[in-house]
Amino acid sequence: MNSMDVARTFFARMDTHDTSGALALVAPHTNVALVPLNLQGDAENVGRQYFEQLMSAFPDLSVRVRRLFVGNDNTAVAEIAIEGTQAADFFGIINQEKLMDIDQVWFLHVNDGVIDRIKAYWCQNRLYRRLGVKRLDHVTITA
Amino acid sequence: MSVTSIPSAVEVVTAFFDAYREHDVERMVELCTDNADFHYVPFELWGKQRVIRGDGKVRTIGKVIWTTLIDSFPDITNKIMYITADNEGNVAAEVMISGTQAKPFGTMGNQGLHYDLPHVFLFRINREGLIEEITGYWDTADWYRQLGRLEVD
Repeated sequence: MNSMDVARTFFARMDTHDTSGALALVAPHTNVALVPLNLQGDAENVGRQYFEQLMSAFPDLSVRVRRLFVGNDNTAVAEIAIEGTQAADFFGIINQEKLMDIDQVWFLHVNDGVIDRIKAYWCQNRLYRRLGVKRLDHVTITA
Repeated sequence: MSVTSIPSAVEVVTAFFDAYREHDVERMVELCTDNADFHYVPFELWGKQRVIRGDGKVRTIGKVIWTTLIDSFPDITNKIMYITADNEGNVAAEVMISGTQAKPFGTMGNQGLHYDLPHVFLFRINREGLIEEITGYWDTADWYRQLGRLEVD
């Protein structure tokens, strides 16, 4: 698969909640940086933790690719929209069964058909607002 | 006979951030087409009656936001941390934007605090070397914390 196909397949597997399938496209020791969560580590730990919490907290999660291109350094840049209804706590955010819709940018560096670097950006404040969080110093308190 | 070469997409984006660093909003706008689209995705100002979003055109919404940012953060600066582009005019840049607050910005009161905030900007550059779309991402929660604001809304 070329880099574009790898990226498309990665997000298609996220959309079908196939965490293992998405991570099968990623080298195990790939550095994953989730900037708004201040989380950084290898794909098998940080990557799996994020995807499993996301799928568990938002069982109806959908992932839609809005824009995708591959830079000349073989980095796939994807603008995606994720949407779902909260059904369980998510990284400390208490479940109030609210709908969230968040736009994100993902950088996936691809080498020989395998993702070997991941970095993602989104606005965590928008996620807090959608999920009913009122204060940044008390994310787990909602009123 | 003079020959004017069309700058590469990366050169256009680099010039844009050079102008931003110099607080030259007119130059930032000149680097864009007359009808360039502007999307600052996290930008939501929640009023009593409506939500103001950072969606529109560079020459209306974008110019106002940049001018207001420079007014509120008079030492605002930027550093391109990473940039990549394809051959079709798509560019993505990770940019660190920093500044010290001197005036309120939207609902953010001024406590005179400094921030360093990672951003991602996506650009579309046309064949004439002009920006036809700017999309920006950052984490407003991180920005609020650094500026001393703890309310989500």
